[in-house]
Amino acid sequence: MAEFYFAGVDVGSLSTDVSIIDDSGKVLSEIVIPTSVNGSEAAEAAFDSALKLTNLSRDGITAITATGYGRASVAFATGKTTEISCHGVGAHQLFPKTGTVIDIGGQDSKVIQIDSRGRMLDFTMNDKCAAGTGRFLEVMANRLELDLDELSSSKNIQGESAPISSTCTVFAESEVISLLAKNTPREEIVHGLQRSIVNRIWSMVTSIGIEGEVTLTGGVAHNKGLVALLEEKLGLTLNIPENPQTVGALGGAHIARRAYHISLESGTN
Amino acid sequence: MMIPDRSEYLKGLAQTGQKIMGVLPALYPRELLWAFDIHAAEIWDPPGEILHANAHLQTTICPIVKKSLEFILKDPDIINAGYLFPHTCDSLQNLGTQVKDLIGVSLPVYTFYNPKGSFNNTTIKYYRDILQNFQLTLETIYRPLDPEKLLTACELSHKIDSHLLAIHQARMTNHLSLSNEEYFKLMRAQEYLLPADYLNLLEQVDILDQPGESLKTRLMVSGILPPTSKILEFLDELGVSIVADDLLAGSRRIPKFSMDAPSSPIDYLTDRFFVLPPCSTRGGDLDERMHHISTRMKDSRAQGMLFDMVKFCEPELFDHRLLVKTLREKSIPVLTLETELEHHISGQDKTRIEAFTELLFDMVST
Repeated sequence: MAEFYFAGVDVGSLSTDVSIIDDSGKVLSEIVIPTSVNGSEAAEAAFDSALKLTNLSRDGITAITATGYGRASVAFATGKTTEISCHGVGAHQLFPKTGTVIDIGGQDSKVIQIDSRGRMLDFTMNDKCAAGTGRFLEVMANRLELDLDELSSSKNIQGESAPISSTCTVFAESEVISLLAKNTPREEIVHGLQRSIVNRIWSMVTSIGIEGEVTLTGGVAHNKGLVALLEEKLGLTLNIPENPQTVGALGGAHIARRAYHISLESGTN
Repeated sequence: MMIPDRSEYLKGLAQTGQKIMGVLPALYPRELLWAFDIHAAEIWDPPGEILHANAHLQTTICPIVKKSLEFILKDPDIINAGYLFPHTCDSLQNLGTQVKDLIGVSLPVYTFYNPKGSFNNTTIKYYRDILQNFQLTLETIYRPLDPEKLLTACELSHKIDSHLLAIHQARMTNHLSLSNEEYFKLMRAQEYLLPADYLNLLEQVDILDQPGESLKTRLMVSGILPPTSKILEFLDELGVSIVADDLLAGSRRIPKFSMDAPSSPIDYLTDRFFVLPPCSTRGGDLDERMHHISTRMKDSRAQGMLFDMVKFCEPELFDHRLLVKTLREKSIPVLTLETELEHHISGQDKTRIEAFTELLFDMVST
């Protein structure tokens, strides 16, 4: 009996993620590498690395979905789907009771409503500014001379919080410079930054509402302080995947699998 | 079907000595201008960067107003008979005042204050009055109005409307084999072609006897202007057809139903104004607008609604929130984009549009 394998390749602005699954949906390998400046090269490198972990060759992968902002640059993909659909499907696979997905990605954030089968019902994305995204945190980490892990480890939600704009990354950076000049403790600034992102996400959540369980995806889900503040704001416990960055790639792999089986059934493959 | 380039066409006309008036959006008695042999060249979204206009306008003014002022400040040769500012919104009305009284241009500046609110005997009387006042204004500058010429202009307008209604209906029922881009290029050619040339163009449109190939995804679009050509191209690529619209530069300028041929011009012009579809720029009842949109969606079997909102467009933003809420309550998928009339499409907007298409496609396939 032939064995089928499927892959999702998520080329994001900060990281490129690959997930490979078998026909039962079991995850065989997952990988995350920085995208750097060339999405196409990052996709090739990440895919090869993910394959190495499985002992499969490129020819052994039955279908591949490209997703993420660089999805068009993945020449070896057999299909492409937006990261919005992919995060919905990926979150559903990991937490089947998910009704709402909050994805805080590198350059944009989304709130996605999905049905009981993981299909998208509605979504909203942040507007043109990077406020409320991973890039926002990266810019601020640079300004605070912290690495992202240090920024992520702060979980002092009861502590003091410096007021920081949630509408504009550039304004927020100026505010951080002013706060540093006034010797405001970095812990308070970090807390203020986390609150700023949470406020931004909150306004998106309120525009489409919350249904079912809420799953948080994207690299920012590693930020413990932000997760705690978001849970406090939403008044619920979030589902946090073990690998929040690869949820889009996982969804892509499942979409590839589903599309392949539909094409088999309809006799087009 | 060859549609002449706007700029080249108007330049050519100006060189023949044709009187050309620059007309700001959106509703004005074009037939009166035609009766005075004045061609109306509408100014909605002239290309080019906004530089000098910013010195005169607040940052929160919509890009239509900013781009129009930028165009006027360049004192273009193709406009030789003045500018007309209909009262479409407060920003355009203020722009009219600013251009006339503060900035100053060498050409005459006219205003036309359309009635707002519900349509009743008072607004009808008011509309007839302003039509006659505008006629008198033009007579003082040009010559007494020839009633026969006005009747001929109304007849031409009636023929154009009849064709547009038929084409619009054909679009809704898939009897028109035009891409999104071709369709809206055709709709917008009325903004600059001479009425006889536009009528000639409409007469060439092939309305199919049978519905065309089944459409993958059907969308209705609402807002002021059609999506930019880049977005229309992208929708074409994705296999999404815009089958109906609620656009000020589109179907909101076409009477809701076929009117009788004109006999009395002023009666005809008044009736025409009041049988246009509901519109945020004329005030009126939001429920009526919602009903109109729902009917169009049903008739065209549109699966979702795209609101393409011009940034800071006050009249549209007042209605938008409630329209979205009502559509969502009816489980109709809605996507809102915001445009500053830029000529490119951002990666984020591509993702929004593509994701919305996936959502609609998923809905259909289950």
